[in-house]
Amino acid sequence: MTFSKELAEQCSFVDVLIGDQASEWDAQAKIPSDILRHLGARGLLCPQVPASVGGPGFDSLHAGEFTAHLGSRCSSIRSVMTSHGMAAWCIQKLADHDQRELYLPELTSGKLAAVGFTESGAGSDLSEMTTRISRHGKGATVDGHKVWVTGASYADFVIVFGRIENGAAAVVVPISSPGVRVEAITDALGCRAAGHANIYFDNVQVPADNILGHEAQSLPLIITTALSYGRISVAWGCVGILRACLAQATSHARTRRQFGKPLEQHQLIKRYLAELFVLEQSAAQLCEHASRSWDAGTPDTAIKAVLAKQVSARNAAQGSAMAVQVLASAGARGSDLVARAYRDSKLMEIIEGSTEICQLLLADHAMSLY
Amino acid sequence: MNSENYLQGDSSEDRATSELLAMLSKRLKTTVRPEQDLFADGMINSMFALELVVQIENIFNVAVEGRDLDMANFRSVNAMANLVRRLAEK
Repeated sequence: MTFSKELAEQCSFVDVLIGDQASEWDAQAKIPSDILRHLGARGLLCPQVPASVGGPGFDSLHAGEFTAHLGSRCSSIRSVMTSHGMAAWCIQKLADHDQRELYLPELTSGKLAAVGFTESGAGSDLSEMTTRISRHGKGATVDGHKVWVTGASYADFVIVFGRIENGAAAVVVPISSPGVRVEAITDALGCRAAGHANIYFDNVQVPADNILGHEAQSLPLIITTALSYGRISVAWGCVGILRACLAQATSHARTRRQFGKPLEQHQLIKRYLAELFVLEQSAAQLCEHASRSWDAGTPDTAIKAVLAKQVSARNAAQGSAMAVQVLASAGARGSDLVARAYRDSKLMEIIEGSTEICQLLLADHAMSLY
Repeated sequence: MNSENYLQGDSSEDRATSELLAMLSKRLKTTVRPEQDLFADGMINSMFALELVVQIENIFNVAVEGRDLDMANFRSVNAMANLVRRLAEK
């Protein structure tokens, strides 16, 4: 793909902004909030938001390449980006005109958002969701809890999915509202600095106008739509992980010498490098395929997003394990790049539809095709 | 197909149904009946329903949004045809 000038500029901006700090952020389980607000103020945490409301207006393909670049530098920031981007996408899909004009410019000017789907009793089976939104005149009350909300520790507001009347709805809840309690998860297996948190809502009062679209909606299709955005984002993030692993593994293989020759001349190392390349290329091709489908609005975009996510997450988990083998003791400390990649990619096999849930969706799709 | 002609036809009811039947039969490579419950027969999940949303938007030049994004609207060809007719009147 030919990078547009803007994409190249934004990637350079990210390189300067992040520098060599990702390992330290991982070790501390925290990203300085001005870093995130800097990215957010450029609209880069939700690059597909249209220019008319202050966004960069990237198509899915360019947003994807940017996501991979950010992911190659720091999966925690990329994870925050996925959550913030899903929040923006939910607003684009569910909000009415006035709500879009109100919230989207905030999401592209430095305010941070997260999305709450998962509950302790409703993970893969979101039909078990118990969080309640009740309307009374011009106000609404939110009661319930969400777990593992990515980016929640940094967020100014969270989009909460819950039951309302005879259906479901998404409501915008400012984190500063009385009755909201954020409990940070600082020992996550991967993407340790992504601001994962459990959030509790106890009789939280918000204006009824914060309910996106002002009406009850049907849950399954809305959530599938939101997850499709998240899946493509995670998939590209995994391509970034693989690219970072390739860069690190090839560089090490070139310089590290054993038995009188560089590692790259040892056949078993060559096999790892070849495999890593195949894993990165095949993941990137499927991501590109899904993004082109998204941009063209083809009917099977949702399943292509699942396919891209499934293959990319699995490839990143396998590829990062290989990179750790190539680096060996040079990459085996807690927050080293390949060690982070190893932990981060395993988490990617769990979120936005675990590997097994994706397999169920792909099996049903195969059954419908043949 | 031309959506305007399609909407103005006297027999639009039958034509909505027959278009949908043709699309689904081709996609699923099996014969589908208008009243057949596609959920009960395991033919439709939320992923496939989203695929149908886009197919219906493209074929009939309508927008399926908000409350209409309801799985119940995709339960059968008859339900989809009702949705299409309602949206075409908007």
